Amino acid sequence: MAREPRLPETKLSHTAALILQALDAGFVYGFSIMEMTGLPSGTVYPAMRRLERDELILSRWERQSIADAEQRPARKYYKLTAAGKVTLEASRRRYPLLERLIPTGEVKTV
Amino acid sequence: MRPLFEWAHRFLHLGLLRCASLLVPRQQRGEWRREWRGELWHVRQACAPVGSGSRQGEREVTAFCLGAFQDALCLRRAGRLPQPPFAAMEGTARQCVLILAAALAASYALALLLPGVRAERSQWPRKVNPNLVLIEQAAASDYARPTIAPEQFRAWKARKQKYFDGFAFYRVTRETVETESLTSGTDSRTAWVVGRASSNLFSLLGLPVRFAEAGAGAGDGLPEVILSESVWKRKFGADARVAGMVVRIGIRAARVAGVAPDGSLSLPGSVDAWLLEPDASKGVGGAGYVIAHLTPAGRAQMWAPCVRITANAPDDAEDDLLGVALEEWRSTPGTLYRFAMFLALLALPAITSVSLGESSLNPGKTSWSQRLHRWSFLGAKIALLLPIIYFVSLDMAFGWTTLDREHAAYIQLVSTFGLCLFGLRWVLKDQRQRCPVCVRRVAHPAHVGQASRTFLDWNGTEMMCMGGHTLLHVPSLPTSWFSSQRWLYLDTSWGFLFAGSSQHIP
Repeated sequence: MAREPRLPETKLSHTAALILQALDAGFVYGFSIMEMTGLPSGTVYPAMRRLERDELILSRWERQSIADAEQRPARKYYKLTAAGKVTLEASRRRYPLLERLIPTGEVKTV
Repeated sequence: MRPLFEWAHRFLHLGLLRCASLLVPRQQRGEWRREWRGELWHVRQACAPVGSGSRQGEREVTAFCLGAFQDALCLRRAGRLPQPPFAAMEGTARQCVLILAAALAASYALALLLPGVRAERSQWPRKVNPNLVLIEQAAASDYARPTIAPEQFRAWKARKQKYFDGFAFYRVTRETVETESLTSGTDSRTAWVVGRASSNLFSLLGLPVRFAEAGAGAGDGLPEVILSESVWKRKFGADARVAGMVVRIGIRAARVAGVAPDGSLSLPGSVDAWLLEPDASKGVGGAGYVIAHLTPAGRAQMWAPCVRITANAPDDAEDDLLGVALEEWRSTPGTLYRFAMFLALLALPAITSVSLGESSLNPGKTSWSQRLHRWSFLGAKIALLLPIIYFVSLDMAFGWTTLDREHAAYIQLVSTFGLCLFGLRWVLKDQRQRCPVCVRRVAHPAHVGQASRTFLDWNGTEMMCMGGHTLLHVPSLPTSWFSSQRWLYLDTSWGFLFAGSSQHIP
């Protein structure tokens, strides 16, 4: 039953690759990605929707109880899918500066 | 002043987000607004925390809120991208039913439009008179050969009969018939087999004559001619305008008074057209055929399909005759359809499994309403498919007006059998690939394993319900422990993967 994922490599724009790299580095919220990448909100959120549509990332709402405990609205967080990781690897080969801009594992929680 | 300044900005930002959300399509509006507001709190915390009064910070928060307009505009642009038509209905039960309904409407419309099918349908149901016999000389070796002389017929008709209460006579001649084309208006002359018959022939037989009203005599005194169905289709393209047309048979003009159905009663002579004449039995010589209708006493004597009759000839000699019962043998399309469907049902298990493949790897989670929905869908498919097959087979068999009845019946039988067999096979196969929960077709087949490498492990095809309810496992090589397809019901933790399709049960 064990299967090797055989996913096609998707060529991404630099913006999308930057967002994937930021997600992989642990910036899992829209605003933290904006802060890290310097991209404006009008770019980041639509780009993340497209990445989600292409099944490269997944989104999930934070539990309301956590948000209530901190007296703030619940937020949506994102994570890479298996296909997203494969695509990110390909993007790193294409954009060698990507890892230098946002080193993996720099931030784990925001 | 500071709190007022902060509150004013806060309202401004919320107002901006609300305005931006109005640009987002209604279905996604709530989700986007929620995300923006969630993020806004964090932006504010980072750039303009409560009490800071930083103008620069407020400007950054405002810039974030204005970015929401760009988000919304980007979303609208993406929404305007061409979507495949009916993409949302892809694979659903509704799509399948709509396609079948459209096919039914198309096949029915075609049946209404094709003149051959229209002509065929207008003749059912029909009943011919029972208790008819064809009288011929007992010595005749050939059933199709005329044996009764006109004077003999006249003698019987003049006498009071105990066993018969009606007679009709006809004789068959080959004559040149001059007709006018209904489309081009040009005249043509062809040789037809013409049956010169008593004017009561069709009323005695009880056969329906099409266009009898349109072809009724216009007071011009011309004799009436009834065309056979095959000549009407072959020569006139099943055109109803033939009724009332004047044709010339030999040297006599006659008015077309209607069309008689082919194949009825197996009357001998293979007649192309019936010329109805009150004096058909006048003259001497030229033997013909006699059809008689039995009285109750005659019926009592008719103990076999063929009985001997003794009659007095005009010269008072005794004639040895034979009475052959005339039976309606023509099969209607409905009979052929039912017979072919029965054969197809018998043959179906030979080409596919009749199982609906409902076994599962984990305990079934379908409710009775879901099971009812699944079965209703199966019933709807069959209920739509059967009339489609009926009308398509009619279109194929009777759409060609140049074909005679025997060939048309053969085509209908074969086409109904083939369409039923493969149509029902498709129904079962389609049903086996419908998710038991939402009745949507499973998609994204993925082949797992190779038989040569995983001999003792499972290998086959895995398909997924796009509503996120189930996975379908179909083995490549049926084994004793995995012989047929099985469903794997997914728990609710899979739901977030299918946010777009939402675990919606239609």
